[in-house]
Amino acid sequence: MSGPLFLQSLILGVLLGGLYALLAAGLTLYFGIMRVVMIAHSAFLILAAYLAWWFNRETGLDPMLSLVVTVPVFFLAGFAMQRLLVSRLKPLTLTMMSVLLTFAIALIIEGALGFIFTGTQRRIQLPYAGDSLDVFGAQVPVVKLVAFVLAAFALLSLYLLLKYTRFGRALRATIQHPEAARLVGIDTDRTAGYGFGLGLATAAIGGTALSLDATIYPSLHWHWIGPLMAIIVVGGLGSIPGAAIAAMLLGISQSLLQIPLGATWAQTVFYVALFATLMFRPQGFFGGRLAQRF
Amino acid sequence: MNLETVELTKSFGGVTAVDHATVRFVDGKVNGLIGPNGSGKTTFFNCVTGMIKPDSGSVAYRGKDITKHASDRVARAGIGRSFQLCRVFPRMTVMENLLVAVRHPSVRTLLRSADDEHERERARHWLRRVGIDHLEHAEARNLSYGQQKLLELAGVLMGDPDTIMLDEPAGGVNPALIGRIATLVRELNEEGKTFIIVEHNMEMVMSLCDHVVVFDRGRPIAEGEPSMIQQDPRVLEAYLGV
Amino acid sequence: MRNDSERTASAGRTASADLGPALTETVVVAPDAPRRRRRWSRAVSLALLVVGAALVLSFPFIAPNPYILSAGVVILNYAVLSTGWNFMGGFTGYISLGHAAYFGLGAYGTGLIVKYLELPGFVAWVLAALVVVAISVPVGIAALRVRGASFVIVSIAFVLILLLVFQSWREFTGGSEGLIVPRPFPDLLRPEHHRAFFYLFAGLLAAALVAWWVIDRSKFGTALKSIREDEDKARSLGVPTTRYKLIAYVLSALVTGLGGGLYALWFGDLDPIFQFSILIGSYMVLMALLGGVRHLFGPLLGALIVGIALEYFKLEFGDTQFHLVAAGLLLGVVVLFMPDGVIPAVGQLIDRFRPQQTSIRDVSAAELLEQNRRSDASATGAADAREASGEASTRDASDVSDASDPKEVTR
Repeated sequence: MSGPLFLQSLILGVLLGGLYALLAAGLTLYFGIMRVVMIAHSAFLILAAYLAWWFNRETGLDPMLSLVVTVPVFFLAGFAMQRLLVSRLKPLTLTMMSVLLTFAIALIIEGALGFIFTGTQRRIQLPYAGDSLDVFGAQVPVVKLVAFVLAAFALLSLYLLLKYTRFGRALRATIQHPEAARLVGIDTDRTAGYGFGLGLATAAIGGTALSLDATIYPSLHWHWIGPLMAIIVVGGLGSIPGAAIAAMLLGISQSLLQIPLGATWAQTVFYVALFATLMFRPQGFFGGRLAQRF
Repeated sequence: MNLETVELTKSFGGVTAVDHATVRFVDGKVNGLIGPNGSGKTTFFNCVTGMIKPDSGSVAYRGKDITKHASDRVARAGIGRSFQLCRVFPRMTVMENLLVAVRHPSVRTLLRSADDEHERERARHWLRRVGIDHLEHAEARNLSYGQQKLLELAGVLMGDPDTIMLDEPAGGVNPALIGRIATLVRELNEEGKTFIIVEHNMEMVMSLCDHVVVFDRGRPIAEGEPSMIQQDPRVLEAYLGV
Repeated sequence: MRNDSERTASAGRTASADLGPALTETVVVAPDAPRRRRRWSRAVSLALLVVGAALVLSFPFIAPNPYILSAGVVILNYAVLSTGWNFMGGFTGYISLGHAAYFGLGAYGTGLIVKYLELPGFVAWVLAALVVVAISVPVGIAALRVRGASFVIVSIAFVLILLLVFQSWREFTGGSEGLIVPRPFPDLLRPEHHRAFFYLFAGLLAAALVAWWVIDRSKFGTALKSIREDEDKARSLGVPTTRYKLIAYVLSALVTGLGGGLYALWFGDLDPIFQFSILIGSYMVLMALLGGVRHLFGPLLGALIVGIALEYFKLEFGDTQFHLVAAGLLLGVVVLFMPDGVIPAVGQLIDRFRPQQTSIRDVSAAELLEQNRRSDASATGAADAREASGEASTRDASDVSDASDPKEVTR
């Protein structure tokens, strides 16, 4: 493998890893708050991508402007989903039933997208789609860089929000110890709803970032949910830093393996990592210790 | 010697719940395990029965090392246990709850009908002993908490254990039921079962146990007959924080 | 000493004599009620069984045209898959959303053996089933190391991997171009072919149902159900959970794989996208859940309902993705409103028209169990917190006072 090619794969891996990290952070958030494995996360991702594409087609404006609408709408949708649907499930069977419920939502979204926009593959034509930067001989497409910056910015905001705001403290308290959080006067139900909203907001941002550079179609979300699930298990369910590290590592591995193996086989790296994690360290490699129990 | 731990240690994060505990429980006796809240009794139970893996140290039962055994192997070695807040199978009937216990797994057990009359009769025997035989067909979740406690005990007895570890048998039940559980423990002990009981109800411990081990901060600080324990200054200190 | 023990023994006896009736007052479950209901339901299910079997066996002659007959084959195939899924999902409560993996492996296994080893179709079918078993053992060992949500993730991941592999390994599997499986009965005309396979599927379904029924009644089945209820507790009672779960998983994979193999011989044309689709796996779950996972005929009933609905949607809306929306909505409704399925829901409806005999306190008991789990999982601090929190402690208190009869305390 030549130097520039390697460098290029490495950079592309980091750029891809950033998007994975943002989306995995969203999944981790749901799981941390309510032990919910949100299968529909990637369906919402594709939904956001479709909305960005549709916005671009209808208005001709930059798809990133659609964020102004999609982020708040997705936040509200997440809040409503938690308050109206997920919270109805019995606590005893919550984890299993929430998987099925969110799976159902994923099917509905996929079906609705296919129904409305048909199964045709779609792609946004951006004026800067063909541009790329030259980094020590490696060609880095500008769109991928823009998508990465968007994802990294969102992830950083999420981190700061969780770390330094009152709401972030309430959310972390709810994640770590719901009973105790209730005792000190935190409305854990509402906080959980907001957490869900935040998770879906990450899907909105991720979807828009994805739409800049990817060909989208309704069933695309299945290609995302597998890797994302693998990432959060490898990272240790419930740990956001763990998920981010695992996302980066696996994103880079996938990108590097694409050169010798081709795109399809390179995807198996996620599943190999997943099964290796289960065999050797079911609690995940970075933090989290909930995997076995939930 | 019946059940013995050597330097058993388990910590969660920074908190050492069981700290180099070396304890011996006497065969054929009713052993009590007492100590203030958070002194590591339940964690100790969980380590001994294989529910959680100890960080270091060893557990031996009747001369055999069982430290690394998973909880089902520990159970089949002859150690039955109950849980602090009792655990039954809520959506199975009382009878089915009793038919779960396995002492000798084999292909024959695998295929044998759960309707096996011999097993059912044995189950009814234990239900009668604990006094809930009239509830045989009820679903366990419809039982009251006290009845569930008795059901859990009967379920453990179905596994025919030689040693029975009870985690707070008197917790959350009314005085009359406490008396009945105590009587049952005494009877079973007469029949040759060894007991190890974690309990906060001092009256029960003092009247029931032959031998008491006192835990504080994850390790035994005193042991002996109940009357001696009551006067031990270290025990008072642990409880009252004097 | 002896006197003493006699005294305590007799005291115990009188105590139980005193307490027995007092304790019963809290829960007025007349022991006869369930027994009577069981006898009643046994008679009904026997009658349904005879009628159902007669209907199934005569269906190929009633079916007005080959299309309806082939729809019948599809529904029976769904019933086999869903019943196969229920060996794992129903007994142990481990929900696999990726069981299409074994459907696909059975189908492709059969097709590939016929293609490369040039064996007769049904020999290949049996060999493929053995291959499925051989694959499901290591996968089961890995997947069953985790519970709940993680298990679901693994099951989905497994089917996605197989989809990738079978699509990419073009030289061996034919990739997206598909794989043609020669028909085992080359002389039969189309309707006769459907008819033959209708009975083959019916036979396979019957075998699967008998196996499920045998396990349901066995001590093994009781152990599996205890895993569904509370796995740690089951282990503490000596149930070798790891081994039992694996046996259930492999059996489940075997039945699903056999269903897949038969499908390959019937349909004759395989495509990874369809064989290894998460959608097929989710149909299995939906059908079993809709019918009722605790019931022998739950998955069959679910397959009947969902299968007919799917055929209807395909006829009505053609190639649009609307059937996905319908399946999603149905799954959502089942999960939210009748997680135990149609059979118990109907049973409850019938019960409503009978005199009330039972006092049900299931909510509090179930919640108590949930608390147990939580407090076992977290440190002792949780217990303190719960004690202090008003809502939970009143619930505890009510439970305790429920257990104790007021008379008993004052006496």
